[in-house]
Amino acid sequence: MAKNNFSSKIFLYLVSAVIFMFFFSFMLVPLYNVFCEVTGLNGKIYGPSSFFIKDREKEKDSREIRIKFLSQVNESAPVKFFPSSNEVKVWTNKVSKTSYIAENTTDKQLTLTIIPSVSPGLAAENVKKIQCFCFEEQVLMPYERQEWPVRFYVSSEVGDNVNDIYLSYTLFETDRVLTDNMNHGK
Amino acid sequence: MSAVIENHDHEHHGPQKGILRWLFTTNHKDIGTLYLWFSFIMFLTGGAMAMGIRAELFEPGLQLMDPIRYNQLVTMHGLIMIFGAVMPAFVGLANWLIPMQIGAPDMALPRMNNLSFWLLPSAFIILLSTAFMEGGLPGFGWTFYAPLSTNYPNIAYFVFAIHVMGISSIMGSINVIVTIMNMRAPGMTLMQMPLFVWSWLITAYLLIAVMPVLAGAVTMLLMDAYFGTSFFDAAGGGDPVLFQHVFWFFGHPEVYIMILPAFGITSHIISTFSRKPLFGQSSMVYAMVSIAVLSFVVWAHHMFTVGMPLAAELFFMWATMIIAIPTGVKVFNWVATIFKGSITYETPMLFAIAFVVLFTIGGLSGLMLAITPADFQYHDTYFVVAHFHYVLVPGAIFSIMAAVYYWLPKWTGNMYDEKMGKLHFWLSFVGVNVTFFPQHFVGLAGMPRRYADYALQFAEWNAVSSVGAFLFGLSQLLFLYIVIKTVFAGKKATAQVWDGAEGLEWTVDSPAPYHTFETPPKVNG
Repeated sequence: MAKNNFSSKIFLYLVSAVIFMFFFSFMLVPLYNVFCEVTGLNGKIYGPSSFFIKDREKEKDSREIRIKFLSQVNESAPVKFFPSSNEVKVWTNKVSKTSYIAENTTDKQLTLTIIPSVSPGLAAENVKKIQCFCFEEQVLMPYERQEWPVRFYVSSEVGDNVNDIYLSYTLFETDRVLTDNMNHGK
Repeated sequence: MSAVIENHDHEHHGPQKGILRWLFTTNHKDIGTLYLWFSFIMFLTGGAMAMGIRAELFEPGLQLMDPIRYNQLVTMHGLIMIFGAVMPAFVGLANWLIPMQIGAPDMALPRMNNLSFWLLPSAFIILLSTAFMEGGLPGFGWTFYAPLSTNYPNIAYFVFAIHVMGISSIMGSINVIVTIMNMRAPGMTLMQMPLFVWSWLITAYLLIAVMPVLAGAVTMLLMDAYFGTSFFDAAGGGDPVLFQHVFWFFGHPEVYIMILPAFGITSHIISTFSRKPLFGQSSMVYAMVSIAVLSFVVWAHHMFTVGMPLAAELFFMWATMIIAIPTGVKVFNWVATIFKGSITYETPMLFAIAFVVLFTIGGLSGLMLAITPADFQYHDTYFVVAHFHYVLVPGAIFSIMAAVYYWLPKWTGNMYDEKMGKLHFWLSFVGVNVTFFPQHFVGLAGMPRRYADYALQFAEWNAVSSVGAFLFGLSQLLFLYIVIKTVFAGKKATAQVWDGAEGLEWTVDSPAPYHTFETPPKVNG
């Protein structure tokens, strides 16, 4: 019955391949995040990356860069949200300050999550935030209006071809996202 | 290759009577028949949906349905044609042909074979049952991009249906691999295997590699929708682009799952009706293996516009273009096989030649789409729709029709009506081209896909396209008629059926007895 042994061996081998590939699909999530972190792609903001920046001169003359501020509100959030100024010119390696304004338009307390994104993606790692409302969840009381400060600087390691950087924030209502998703089956 | 066979008739092993025969059957021929009929029913269902889509697009404006209904039809048309029509048809052909082509008495795991078929109707009942629920059918496109899809009602039904289909495909593939590896007739080496068997061996490995990834993707979707995770939802720190990566990591090999068996079928038919051995048999095998391997490193060409860095775009562009080389090898081998052959143009040969020509057209528009800067222009236009319909309809589906005409005499013992077959071919051929060729034009002119309405300047070609779609769709009823007529009547077929046909399946009687090759045939290499 050598043939049947061979048959069950190959069967088990194939079944384990299936199980491996199923878990591999979940491994794609951390792999993707690590890949984005190492390469600094996708406009995600992480620590410094070594992948694209090689032996660039550390100290260069400071130069002027234009930062444009954008804001978006996810459809689920009943909030007015906009930057206090639409653009500023900053010098590299010099800390600048701006702010965003958020206003609760409901009579309920809201918990908000704000996700930043930088474009072009390769410049994302060079925008260093010292203080940001995106670091933690924000709470707005009914009809409350708040001004949220952002302190940041643009590192001089930013690519020579980058003259404009877009800093965009998308605001989500934290509770609503979860409860909406939990409830829409009903 | 020559073969010695003995057939024993075991009356006590004959099929059961009535419906129980089909419910409990473990016979590869019965299961193949079930798969083929199921896929034909799904083909007509998905086709009816396509005709609904084309009826709405016949002229600008909204006439027959609102955009929500339109999106549901587009989504279900895609899902049904891919998972319900093309894939089950190939599995049905595999069930019928692989044991007969390698001289095995049945598939290696017959009970699992029965289960993997019966899971399939269950999956489609789950999926289609949402039509009668509040919220209706899924309408987010067959690619179910998150977080659009996670915010749809009835997403759980969709997820479970995909899970069940996936399990069915995986079990089918395991069966195919175990059968091929373990049950070949003594003396048949891997390289001597018929090309249809080779193409299915490679396809089965692709399925085993990527169907679990699809299962993972829909599981993440389910968790995002109901269990509060945020794999793809930016609000919770997830990433929508990640979904596209995971999906197309499955999706691109899936595309080749739907075309590799067609390569095998076409090779057999062209060789038979040219009355010449296939040119470059082993290069065909290597070409299919390279296509399968490359299919894992090209997925991001579906998403050039998401904002990838230049290096990644260049990599995926070149990797995609390299696939043209093994594909070109195959096309040239088919042409070289036809060259100086003693050709006759029976219906299977007509479909096979149309396959080679029209699939090549679809492949060339694929090369245009692979060019990254051009893709930014073509992305999500009707040019893409024209491209993938050219490789799937006159590609995959023509090859399935060719296979049905080619092996139908072996399955039923009767010859089909050649005149009717040719009529069916010409109606289909004209219908397909009238439907999809104009979509290249409107796509290049900028008509976006997945809309129920369009700008006035696209009206003429859309009307032409709709007329073609009705012609193609309705002529498939002729196909149904021809097949049913052949099952019940027709000129008796000989065992050899076609005078150029070679291979073990042509050495058994027509119709093929319920049990074949109970004693393995001897194959001399």
